[in-house]
Amino acid sequence: MSVLGIPVLDNLYPATMDMWPIEAKEFNRSYTFYENLKKGRFTTTKCKGCGHVAYPPRVICPECYSEDLEYVDLPTKGKVIVLSEEVKGVPLGFNSPLIHAVIDLGADPVRRFLTRIINCPAGSLKQGDEVQLAVFDIPATPIEKGKAGTIMAERVFFAFEPVKK
Amino acid sequence: MTRHACIIAGGQNKWGVREAHLVDLFQEAAKACLDDIPGLKPKDIDGLIVATSYAGRCSFQVNTAPVIAERCGLKPTSICVRIDVLCAGGSTGIILAKGLVESGNADIVMVAGGEKLYTPQKWEVFYSELASVDHDWDGVHGMGLPPPFFALTAQEHFQHYGSKKEQLAAVSVANYNYAATNPVAQMQKALTLEEALAAPVVVPPLTLYDCCPITDGAAACIVTTEEIAKKLTNRPLVYLRGTAQASLNSVSVNFPGAHLADWKHTRIAAEKAYKRAKVSPGDVKVAQTHDCFSISEVIEVEELGFCKKGEGGEFCGSKQIELGGKVPVNTDGGLLAVGHPFGATGIRQGIEIMKQLQGRARHQVKNADIGLTHNLSGANAEHTIIIYGQEPVK
Repeated sequence: MSVLGIPVLDNLYPATMDMWPIEAKEFNRSYTFYENLKKGRFTTTKCKGCGHVAYPPRVICPECYSEDLEYVDLPTKGKVIVLSEEVKGVPLGFNSPLIHAVIDLGADPVRRFLTRIINCPAGSLKQGDEVQLAVFDIPATPIEKGKAGTIMAERVFFAFEPVKK
Repeated sequence: MTRHACIIAGGQNKWGVREAHLVDLFQEAAKACLDDIPGLKPKDIDGLIVATSYAGRCSFQVNTAPVIAERCGLKPTSICVRIDVLCAGGSTGIILAKGLVESGNADIVMVAGGEKLYTPQKWEVFYSELASVDHDWDGVHGMGLPPPFFALTAQEHFQHYGSKKEQLAAVSVANYNYAATNPVAQMQKALTLEEALAAPVVVPPLTLYDCCPITDGAAACIVTTEEIAKKLTNRPLVYLRGTAQASLNSVSVNFPGAHLADWKHTRIAAEKAYKRAKVSPGDVKVAQTHDCFSISEVIEVEELGFCKKGEGGEFCGSKQIELGGKVPVNTDGGLLAVGHPFGATGIRQGIEIMKQLQGRARHQVKNADIGLTHNLSGANAEHTIIIYGQEPVK
């Protein structure tokens, strides 16, 4: 009897179908961003040479190409500049309403930051409303470690949510 | 002797939801292209540039160019390559073909683009759209499927410039009506303003007819030198006068304009293309712009210089994009109605401009001597412009 799915992939993890980043140190030099996020910190890289702060974080400074970077904190509260709400036809992986907003976090380079807003009923968010960082768990990544077997690398990701009035 | 690149032939297959494999679509397009120029045989073609972005995800095929060459009976000896810049792949292929033939590194290049996007289960293409933007930083926020991003763009245009939903609807009406008699268009039906305004909501303020569909399809064209073109065809020659491509942002931050309706990177690319083509916006008689959403066309006619910044809504709403208007735009129906198989779109646009400049378009613009194509790709990540003319740049 035929079944849905691909039998040879049973119990396997296809990274090419993972909607979330592969965040683990073994696969990503920006893993510090995610480690900081687990502690509730929203960070990015700053160049120790020229002082340029870039988002997303990276491993070279896009201005001067220095590799001497440090992680600095970004603001975690901001105000909604403009927003959109998708109620019907939300794609796989997201819940209705799927809300996006350009928010002003009050400092470069995130004075106009386009992000997802969660924990917010449809029709309730307005321009000028205050939002804050919201960190949530996402499925762990199984990573093969040779004789040590497969480890599960815990992951988090973020969106923003309305500040309760 | 200076080698001037010309587009001399082109064709597309039927676009829409197709009961066909990716390689079937490319074969149909290659045939449509060569049917347009009886004097040219597959063996004469020494270069193939393939534009497809979703072959890897939706057809489980990478290194696509040699596969397409083999299926289409081509044996290229100068270049055989696949490019991926999503919605601008086709026009990027034309730009590269121009460089190859003008530099003498190829003589007769087929630029072929196409996508097979409908998979046996429909969730997959939508899910794969997470990869159309920066996957880890933007796609992960659900910004891969573009309606929310362009809804935000429309809202900022409304707020900063006072444009209105009726003006967006006027773009949909114009483009659907252009496509109503186009036998290869995905949407072949006339549309009224009332129907457009009454359509179901997608993401406010965008409704159904403000958004281009998901499309299976392919298109192909031939780029060669003026000298070779004269031996192959008696049709008027159409020259590739000037091109530019500007890539300036990621979605979540670093947008180059002051807000989402301020497309600085379009202006940068346009300025460069006009300069290279030695023309100005006022010289453009017909244009194919990237109407992935109605709001895109409103902003594009501004940033390309067909009207003042902020007046795109009025320009489109007052029929300036229709035949008899200041610059007829998307005269074959555009992305909104012909459809948008990403890698094929720039080629479809080039073919329509070629036909306009040769005087054989379905909706012919009078005295069309200079034409322009424009693509944006991704969530407004890149702008690609080609200016075509009846005469070469001197």
